[in-house]
Amino acid sequence: MNEVKRNMAYKPQFGPGTSNVAANRRKQMDPNQKLEKMRDVTDEDIVLILGHRAPGAAYPTSHPPLAEQQEPDCPIRKIVTPTEGAKAGDRVRYIQFTDSMFFAPCHPYQRSYTECYRFRGIDPGTLSGRQIVECRERDLEKYSKELIETELLDPARTGIRGATVHGHSLRLAENGMMFDMLQRSVLGEDGIVRYVKNQIGEPLDRAVAVGKPLDEKWLKAHTTIFHSLGGTAYRDDKEYVEYVQRIHTLRTKYGFLPKEA
Amino acid sequence: MTEAIYPQVRIVSARFLRPDTVEKLLNRLVRVGGILRMSLTGQNLPATVPYGPARGKPNPHPDRKVIRIGDQDVQLQVQVGNVILELEDESYIPAIEEAVDEVFADKDFSCTVQKGRFMKSRPTVSDYAKYGPDVDREVLGLVDPRKKGGPVIIQGNK
Repeated sequence: MNEVKRNMAYKPQFGPGTSNVAANRRKQMDPNQKLEKMRDVTDEDIVLILGHRAPGAAYPTSHPPLAEQQEPDCPIRKIVTPTEGAKAGDRVRYIQFTDSMFFAPCHPYQRSYTECYRFRGIDPGTLSGRQIVECRERDLEKYSKELIETELLDPARTGIRGATVHGHSLRLAENGMMFDMLQRSVLGEDGIVRYVKNQIGEPLDRAVAVGKPLDEKWLKAHTTIFHSLGGTAYRDDKEYVEYVQRIHTLRTKYGFLPKEA
Repeated sequence: MTEAIYPQVRIVSARFLRPDTVEKLLNRLVRVGGILRMSLTGQNLPATVPYGPARGKPNPHPDRKVIRIGDQDVQLQVQVGNVILELEDESYIPAIEEAVDEVFADKDFSCTVQKGRFMKSRPTVSDYAKYGPDVDREVLGLVDPRKKGGPVIIQGNK
């Protein structure tokens, strides 16, 4: 999966910053670092949560498999190896996440960066409160499994929400769950979070367990969100601020098309 | 619309409240007395999915419950975040603070009582444009006056 070119002319730095938050961001983005696996979710569970096809059903296709159709003579097609989903002609489907501002392990921009570094054949869309990633269906299921099983997801502070995503900037509920108008995931008496609806809010035939919410200490140590109340304040990471100010200055000046003396 | 002479307080908790906590809190507040009007605000919990691919399907939500306050059943329509109260006079405020402290004593998050003006005191031009001149002034500024179902009246002990 992590088919990043090894012999690149430069070593990617992934991001500035000296704080813990910055280090967490770099760790998630760097495809050479293995993300910690936090829970086990079966392939069938992933299909249920995504809600794009019935578990066990064949993948619907949008075009014939590449092997069966005549490909135009295109140099780019010769360079780029198609993903499994593209080879089979799968439909393009999506998964969308909402991350609470209260120390969720990931957040929309971070997700897009991370996915672009780690996955192939994807189209991420970043919004303030949600992040969507689209790709071929069987690739999506593979990537979703990684996104759900690893430290990128906390069952309480991250929501898998295809629609009606509102909740990332709201207070948490009494039991520590992020607000969800459709209540897709429910914290059980046994402390395990279960998805009772798929990502667009249709009830599931059986609940899908995604494990126990991670504790506050773990979240604060692994979050990629700067938060001046209770976490690491952005302004405390001088290097990060300096970098952002430099980019801001350069792009502002470039608007005036400066001429070098 | 409210008369500007009545004091108002807002009870703000650091977390959204479960229906049983709301029930406990409000029953405790009702016992304090001196409350003219009360409004529960928070995020809407619609009965059906309002938009998206599952639009129109039922939206069973464990927090959309009927709770009993005083002698009345109240259908919760929101996940309660704030409780706004209009009081007869300021002498009730210390008792309300005490009641809130009592209810939240065993919780691991805080809840504050703020004094100020939280209900609308004059209709705005937008209100006039939206609801017209004959709007029920009792509820304007608290809820959408076009909403069916009036306020729940909890009888006092006077």
